[in-house]
Amino acid sequence: MEPIITIRQLSKKYGDKAVLNNINLDVYPGQIIGYIGPNGAGKSTTVKILTGIIQEYTGEVMVAGKVLKDNVLEIKKMIGYIPELAEIYDLLTPREYLTFVGKLYHLSDEVIEDRSRKMLDSFGLLGNIDQRMDSFSKGMKQKVLITSGLLHNPSIIILDEPLSGLDANAVIMVKELLQVMKQEGKTIFYCSHMMDVVEKVSDRIVLIDKGSIIANATISELKQDTNESLEQIFAKLTSDGSQSQKADEFASVFSQKNNE
Amino acid sequence: MEQLKAILKVRLTLDDRKPLSFGRQQRVKKDRKYGSLLNIFLSFIMGILYTLPLAIPDRIFSLAFYFTLFLFMLTFMLITDFSNVLFDARDKYTLLPRPVNDRTLVLSRLLYVFIYLLRIVFPMSIAGWVILGIMDGWKSVVLFPLPLVLMVFMALFFVNGIYLLLLRLAKPGRFKEIINYFQIIFSILFFACAYLLPRLFDARRLVNFNIHDFASMRWLPSYWLAACWSWLGFPAGLPGTVWLSSLAVLFPLICLFITVRWLSPQFADKIGEMDSIEPSEQKIAVKTTSRSGKKFYKKLADIFNRSDAAKAGFIITWLQTSRSRSFKMRVYPTFAYVPVYFFYLLTTKREPLNNVWHGLKENPSYLLLLYLCSFVLMQALTYLTMSDQYKAAWIYYASPLVTPGKVMSGGFKAIWVKYFIPFFAVLGIFIVSVWGISAIIDVVLALINVTLFSACIMRIGFRHLPFSIIEQTKQGGVRIIKVFISMIVVGGLGFGHYMAIHMFWLKLVFLLLSGGLLWLVWDSYANTSWESMIKSELE
Repeated sequence: MEPIITIRQLSKKYGDKAVLNNINLDVYPGQIIGYIGPNGAGKSTTVKILTGIIQEYTGEVMVAGKVLKDNVLEIKKMIGYIPELAEIYDLLTPREYLTFVGKLYHLSDEVIEDRSRKMLDSFGLLGNIDQRMDSFSKGMKQKVLITSGLLHNPSIIILDEPLSGLDANAVIMVKELLQVMKQEGKTIFYCSHMMDVVEKVSDRIVLIDKGSIIANATISELKQDTNESLEQIFAKLTSDGSQSQKADEFASVFSQKNNE
Repeated sequence: MEQLKAILKVRLTLDDRKPLSFGRQQRVKKDRKYGSLLNIFLSFIMGILYTLPLAIPDRIFSLAFYFTLFLFMLTFMLITDFSNVLFDARDKYTLLPRPVNDRTLVLSRLLYVFIYLLRIVFPMSIAGWVILGIMDGWKSVVLFPLPLVLMVFMALFFVNGIYLLLLRLAKPGRFKEIINYFQIIFSILFFACAYLLPRLFDARRLVNFNIHDFASMRWLPSYWLAACWSWLGFPAGLPGTVWLSSLAVLFPLICLFITVRWLSPQFADKIGEMDSIEPSEQKIAVKTTSRSGKKFYKKLADIFNRSDAAKAGFIITWLQTSRSRSFKMRVYPTFAYVPVYFFYLLTTKREPLNNVWHGLKENPSYLLLLYLCSFVLMQALTYLTMSDQYKAAWIYYASPLVTPGKVMSGGFKAIWVKYFIPFFAVLGIFIVSVWGISAIIDVVLALINVTLFSACIMRIGFRHLPFSIIEQTKQGGVRIIKVFISMIVVGGLGFGHYMAIHMFWLKLVFLLLSGGLLWLVWDSYANTSWESMIKSELE
């Protein structure tokens, strides 16, 4: 099978600071890739390059057999992007925001209306479709954002911390949704800090640290010689393993004060 | 005591970094350190403006005018800003969970309100104080603080009363929006005062001042305050009104009593309620029935735009501009600036007002009014690109948008249709009714020219997507020069129009020329590519 996303020797610098160093990665259709790494590792930069938001980089990125740099618009049509932190024009209502986004993807009014109603309904937000989002909780906004990212029925879905702010039921729903979309043959690129979720939903884990991929394997391959959880493996690979020592130091601040 | 100091220090520091509450706001994103100092300075300047009526020879009347202005503006200023002072929602998270006792909390709030008021009222009153001292001697200087304190009591009473009324009448969520409208009106008043007061209280016009024209002043609390000056031996303005000075003392004290006893506690309750409303996902379907027929803005979007991208730009601009507080705050006052400026420029000759009105018809001064409208369009268009939520603009970059210029042109059209055309139409009707039907061609030519002017400026200096950049006051040098040159060019257009005012055929030629030019500029603006947009952003 041909990979749907191919990344070769991808590097990106901000000034003198290298954010991505020589990234090589193949993603196959219908896969869920868990893309994990500590803060500042280069996750968001990779995502922004894949979605065509950042266009200055070295190396090659191919999506569905096409070179990203030469076919940005065509590839953008294939991709649904759901950013973290609910960056959204929240003075609008979900209906208005989705109409706006739908128009940017050249959808007709009828399709926008039909899809947004159905999708919001499954999120339990249909009752809020005509309310301004500035009164919404973070999770509610995130649901609208997920809807807007999937509205044009993309074949590749890129999620950056999609579960932040969602309540437990919505988290279960999104996890189920990922599985359904996977079965439909969609490719999912999933960035997150939440190791337990990544561990459960991903077919393959890609671990990035300081701009380089330091692990790229299935979860069972990663766990081959050990009984540790993904969280522990992550900690081992991305830090010097001194977390418990640091926690002790933190706690000792109080005991010192009490001793005085 | 330490807690009290810490709380006050933080509050005053926050005040220092807050955007100005005065007039036309200019928010700078970098650290604002001396916000309070600037506010104090502006209060001082405003105080100077209020002293203009003191030129009236009758002391009690001049003071009555002075206090009216002072009290009115103070009340308005407090309305726009005081809700933050009375109850800061952040207190709930930062102070309430900490071991701070109620007495410290109340004391910190009272002290803070005191400092806050002092910072406004004291600088505002300096000019009046000094002038009274010079004119009347030490007695006036000593008496002066009394009405100031009494005015503060009254202002607090009015503000609390108005707040309560608003909270009763409006849904809690709308409260902030209504306050926003007060802010808009306030900035208009500030602007109008600065420009028109010196004209209205022009010493030459005050020669014919007649006390009895203003007999109804006696019902205003500010007149009662002024009546206190009868204690110093000044004649009592309106005959038989000396006794009103006792009301001056009594009324504010009653106000204060009502405020402390009833209004403030109720107000705090209401605000508390407002704060405790949490968003919820509605299980019961409210307005979920599929709407039959299209919404008005969508119909307009379809009429005025062909491409989907332009429709998207039109829709977001139409909706966002109705709701964004910062947009309204910056753009709505400009509607009022146009007539104020017009009036200001008309009255430069220091003629009596009646003559000004009669002279109006005899010359084509309406051209001025028409071209002043470019203010409104330009202000709306430039703020169209800016938003506090500029980060949400990622969607333009992630979507398969071929030509960003299409979205920009959609936004431009939305502003043009929604704000400019209705305003221009009102002025057009006014002009045709005053100067006659022959002025129509001037209205149309000015419409084209102003649109051309705005399209030029947008094309040269503001090729940004709607609501996609952070507000900034510093403009790149190249851009300023470009904008300046285009202003000269289009200023030339207006001048050409003025010169051709009596030549119908020449105006028709101008109309065709301007129309053609507009078409060219528009084409270039609406086809702005990603590359040229990014290039212009770097300038």
